[in-house]
Amino acid sequence: MAFDKIKPPVSLSILVLFGLILLLLQLMSSATQESSELSAMYSWLLLVNALGSVVLLGLVGANIYSLARQLKKREAGSRLTTRMVSLFVVLALAPAVIVFYFSMQFLHQGIDSWFNVEIDRAMEDALELSQASLDQRMRWHLRQIQQLTGRLVDSPETLVTLEMENLRELSGASEMTLFSRQGRIIASSSINPSDILPSLPDDHTWLQLRQNSEFVAVAPVREDELMIRVIVTVKTREPQYLQALYPVPIRIADLADSVEFAFVRYQEMNFLRNSLKLSFSLALSLVLLMSLLAAIWVAFISIRNIIAPVKALVKGTQAVASGHYDQDLPVTAQDDLGFLVESFNEMTHRIARASDETRMAGIEVENQRAYLETILANLTAGVISFDTVYKIRTANQAAYRIFHVHVNQFVGRTLLELVQSYAELAEPLKSIQRLLEQADDIWQQRIAFLGPNGRQELLCRGTPLFSQEGHRVGAVVVFDDVTDLIQAQKNAAWGEVARRLAHEIKNPLTPIQLSAERLQHKLADKLTAGDADMLQRSTATIVQQVEAMKEMVDDFSEYAKPSKKQTLDIDLPRLVQEVLALYVLKSGVKFKADYDKGLLMIKGDPVSIRQVLHNLIKNALEASGAQGLIEISLHRVQKNNTDFIEIALYDDGSGIKDEQIERIFEPYVTTKSRGTGLGLAIVKKIIEEHGGAIWVDTSRKVGAGFIIQLPACNF
Amino acid sequence: MRASVGNKTSLCYALLCCFLIGLMPAISHADTRAVEGFGVVVKNAELTLQGDSYALSAEIDYRLSARAKEALQNGVPLYWDMHIKVLQRRDYFWDKTLVNTGIRYRIQYHALLNMYRVRNEGAGDVTNFSTLSAALDSMSTIRDFRVMDKAIYAPGERYAVGIKVTLDRDALPLPLRPVAYINPQWYLSSDWTLWPLTK
Repeated sequence: MAFDKIKPPVSLSILVLFGLILLLLQLMSSATQESSELSAMYSWLLLVNALGSVVLLGLVGANIYSLARQLKKREAGSRLTTRMVSLFVVLALAPAVIVFYFSMQFLHQGIDSWFNVEIDRAMEDALELSQASLDQRMRWHLRQIQQLTGRLVDSPETLVTLEMENLRELSGASEMTLFSRQGRIIASSSINPSDILPSLPDDHTWLQLRQNSEFVAVAPVREDELMIRVIVTVKTREPQYLQALYPVPIRIADLADSVEFAFVRYQEMNFLRNSLKLSFSLALSLVLLMSLLAAIWVAFISIRNIIAPVKALVKGTQAVASGHYDQDLPVTAQDDLGFLVESFNEMTHRIARASDETRMAGIEVENQRAYLETILANLTAGVISFDTVYKIRTANQAAYRIFHVHVNQFVGRTLLELVQSYAELAEPLKSIQRLLEQADDIWQQRIAFLGPNGRQELLCRGTPLFSQEGHRVGAVVVFDDVTDLIQAQKNAAWGEVARRLAHEIKNPLTPIQLSAERLQHKLADKLTAGDADMLQRSTATIVQQVEAMKEMVDDFSEYAKPSKKQTLDIDLPRLVQEVLALYVLKSGVKFKADYDKGLLMIKGDPVSIRQVLHNLIKNALEASGAQGLIEISLHRVQKNNTDFIEIALYDDGSGIKDEQIERIFEPYVTTKSRGTGLGLAIVKKIIEEHGGAIWVDTSRKVGAGFIIQLPACNF
Repeated sequence: MRASVGNKTSLCYALLCCFLIGLMPAISHADTRAVEGFGVVVKNAELTLQGDSYALSAEIDYRLSARAKEALQNGVPLYWDMHIKVLQRRDYFWDKTLVNTGIRYRIQYHALLNMYRVRNEGAGDVTNFSTLSAALDSMSTIRDFRVMDKAIYAPGERYAVGIKVTLDRDALPLPLRPVAYINPQWYLSSDWTLWPLTK
């Protein structure tokens, strides 16, 4: 991030780069002017520009390479970048190439048009003309000097100097010198008296002179002055050489110089024609290459900048699509793309908010559901909901408890499927199924069945469920185990009957008894022996029956009155042992006792519990006869997290008929020829008063079996 | 990231290779020069004590390539630089240049008079020659060129004298310069000739 901050803006860098390129190109273009001071730097400028092109080429190459990689990886925005770059390159390249082509054409044609045969010939002719002019002048001077030498031959040596002066003036030469054969100066004369030393011919001139005996040449002296040097042999005894120097008139020298300059320039240009073309083409190509490369590179950078928000948008969209709503893209520009990015950010914020709200609502609903489930689970009433095809969707804990079916057996099955697994529940389940199918409205039904704990009575209420559109979407059934409630109602009714019966019947019994005894007492002496005897028997019968009736009424009142229990810790095995001890001696019946190890204690009224045992054992003795076998066992069991002591008592007697099982604990129900039918009713009453339960073990096929469960005493 | 860096490096190498291949003709000029027999060779050179200064005498062989001759004959002036340097040898440091001097010649063809003109740019002497070989001969002999004072020479130190003749390509007409850098025909300069200065 810190690096980003100190980095100059891209646009500034691009401007600087372009400025630099333009400057370099301008410098190179200026350098191509021969007169320019930059001309000396031309090679360096060319090299720098070429290097710049190579660097730009590298940059463009690197960009293309990276773009190709991105394309291969199918990165976001790479295809758009490729299209934009291609478009830009094509757009930039096409006019540039056209301009380049025609520029090259014009350049070549332009350079070629400078040269043609006429100018060639004219130039050569002009040079030749100059040369001819100089040549003529040289020959004329040569002839002139040759003629003048005659005068030197005759003159004596002493006068040579004087003669030289004359000759020089005569000939119009600027300097005249006489050399000996060995090259020694004999005499000299100059137009300029200050020139003491005459101009000496060089070795090459001497060589030519000795070969040809004369020499004539035009040579430049100083910068722009031409001089004709003529040397001839003076034929004296000792050969001598006369040298004359003629200045070429300045006008002619200038003209010759100008012609030569033009010729040389033309010659040079002609010679350099191809190099010139090459050089201009090179410069032009370099300019084009550099500008194109720079433009392409800048295009890459700017397109990348343009694409950056699009890229970010694509990535953001992908992230949103995959569920990451916390997207916040940086807004880099205030243009349309920036607006798009802003809108995207707003959209993602809204989606994120909506998603949060949905999640919160989901959690709320879940909490609500959990709360309802908790309430349902803790209801004492069983609740089962069904879907449209009567498969169980939910069932609460109470339902499991009432039906004694394990949790995971319930859900997802129909009631009829449950029937196959739990045959003992067939009756209630079938009834509920039938009611579910038939009912169009709320229904209520009492269903009784024989459960594993004896007879159970359920109060079922059901209602079909409808969707808001009115379609049937399932049903819900609520049921209560009202077994105990109904039993309590029955018991209360019987208690009331017994109490009234005892009250209404017992009152007249004593007068009846007393009256019968009084009759017998008064009339016994006054009757005949036979009558007296009959009276005796009748009154005895009355008294006996009244006694029996009293006993019965006492039983009833016993049953009816609320027991006044004293609560003590009872060691059940000991108690059972004590009770059994009374019967073992009296009867021939065999007893088989089986107790769990350890303490088997309950809290209760020992008298009542003893009565329960007496009543049950009496019943068993009566059912099994003299040679029977009575089994009694005590076990510790656990039910609903509570410890119970289970007392099981079996005989091998006649057993209980199925139709009697349901009502055997009700008063006045008996299988015996004589008896009040209150024995088992009292037993049940006592057990229930102790918080226990008693039922007939229906699984027993031989004889009868009773199972009592009493809450264990925990120490 | 690592991979991309590696690729960028290899890309750079590739570009460098291209650049070097482009320079190949320039590098291989020595071979062609030997085959076609052109170039400048310093045949012999010596630095002798004359009075209170050291003077250089040298023999240099100028052999122009066909292309250079053609250019000369078409009026293109050729500039030659004779570089002369005296180095003080040092064991643990680069050599110290004591003297760096030279002579610059210009040779040009004059079409009007059909002669070659050699000009010593430093002294301003102009000499005309009717043949090219004569003109080149005049440049090839160096006599008593005063290089340095005797006082500079310190006994006990080691010295080396170097001479090299180059064609100043940057003085060529502009269109010819790129060609001169590419075409081996224009690689006429001699190598450094170095010899120890003993006294």
